[in-house]
Amino acid sequence: MLKDVTIGQYYPTNSIIHRLDPRTKIHFTLLYIVALFLVDNMIGYGVAFATLITITLISKIPVNYVLRGVKGLVFIIMITVAINLFMTPGTVRYQFWIFKITEEGLKVAVFMALRLIFLVTGTSLMTLTTSPISLTDGIEYSLKGVPGVRKYAHELAMMMTIALRFIPTLMEETDRIMKAQKARGADLDSGNLIQRAKSLIPILVPLFVSAFRRADELAIAMEARCYRGGENRTRLHALKFGRIDIYAYATTFLMIGAVILTRWI
Amino acid sequence: MKTSKSINTKAMIYCAIFAALISVGALTRIPVPMIPFTLQFLFTNLAGIMLGPVYGAISVSIYVALGLMGLPVFASGGGLGYVFQPTFGYLLAFILGAFVAGKMTQKEGFRNFKGYLLASFTGLLIVYILGFIYYNLLAVFVLNINVDPGLLFLHAFLMPLPGDVVSCILGSMLAVRIPSIRRQISFNF
Repeated sequence: MLKDVTIGQYYPTNSIIHRLDPRTKIHFTLLYIVALFLVDNMIGYGVAFATLITITLISKIPVNYVLRGVKGLVFIIMITVAINLFMTPGTVRYQFWIFKITEEGLKVAVFMALRLIFLVTGTSLMTLTTSPISLTDGIEYSLKGVPGVRKYAHELAMMMTIALRFIPTLMEETDRIMKAQKARGADLDSGNLIQRAKSLIPILVPLFVSAFRRADELAIAMEARCYRGGENRTRLHALKFGRIDIYAYATTFLMIGAVILTRWI
Repeated sequence: MKTSKSINTKAMIYCAIFAALISVGALTRIPVPMIPFTLQFLFTNLAGIMLGPVYGAISVSIYVALGLMGLPVFASGGGLGYVFQPTFGYLLAFILGAFVAGKMTQKEGFRNFKGYLLASFTGLLIVYILGFIYYNLLAVFVLNINVDPGLLFLHAFLMPLPGDVVSCILGSMLAVRIPSIRRQISFNF
């Protein structure tokens, strides 16, 4: 489990989608969210569904992985469906006891549930096909185009990379400190809330101290190598848009166009 | 040679390490019956108190960004789809909460147990209010439902309250004990 955290949801396969520039995928995801909110009938969802299925098939990711994101939202989807189903006024279709299902309610419920499912599956496709490190690169490049944040793009991406690198280390450290304190007789697993919170102090104080020591060491190491931020800094792997990215953008705009067109059908 | 750094290296690394600490804290679940208790709020709050308003907020933002990138560092997983979870508002509110807690402990006179406790509770209040607002906005605009405010209040406030109050007290105790790094890194902010 320790090693899995920093991989995130990434599912490595050798597909065209995985090889796409991370920027392309980020922009696609943002446009896809916008498109979904523009949809106002079922044909629009048909277009979104077709896009999703195509991407999933090309990316060679098992369908149950893509649907895994929906699992966390099952509860909220159920509530949405239930409330919309029973609370929308309109022509009554079915009625039993105090519950009545209206035609409009049925429509709205299905519509909202589909929107949520498409939003979650679509966005999880990005994190499934892009590793956190290349996503960070993509974010850095994308932020460089935003005025105001441009100055901090490199720093923000660097901080994310450092955090990614230190999560497993600090988890290991926490584990080690817990074991060390248990070996000294610390009681971590019993008592009420306040007692348990108190027993956390001998774990958290060493954790912070050691984390700060690591931070100091890293700062000295970086400054000794003349690190001075993003200015004039070159990269080993510069991101480049390839031909497949152009096709991807074309497809994205085609999808958006199709979704907008369905509003008049 | 031009050296126009926007953030100094040391502060940057502290922010990053703190983001990693928040992630680890959120993953550490303390098994307490009835209520969900993680160290998430404790750590985001400490980020504000220990790093100061700006760096604290940056550090929490990085934690949120990492979670959105698909790392399972939020309470129930991660990924960009988490934006549509009603509880995502709390994560956004942590950023402002850390900022305010940092701002309130800006003066040296407030850097004692009482000051930290006051800052923590103000941060907690902000987190609850903003979380509540996000919950409502999401319910109305995305899910198209009208939730009963009373029920929502119960779900959004009373359930996590005991754990968060304990977090505030624990955080203030820790902030007093751990040597201050704030003076080392805060030149500008």
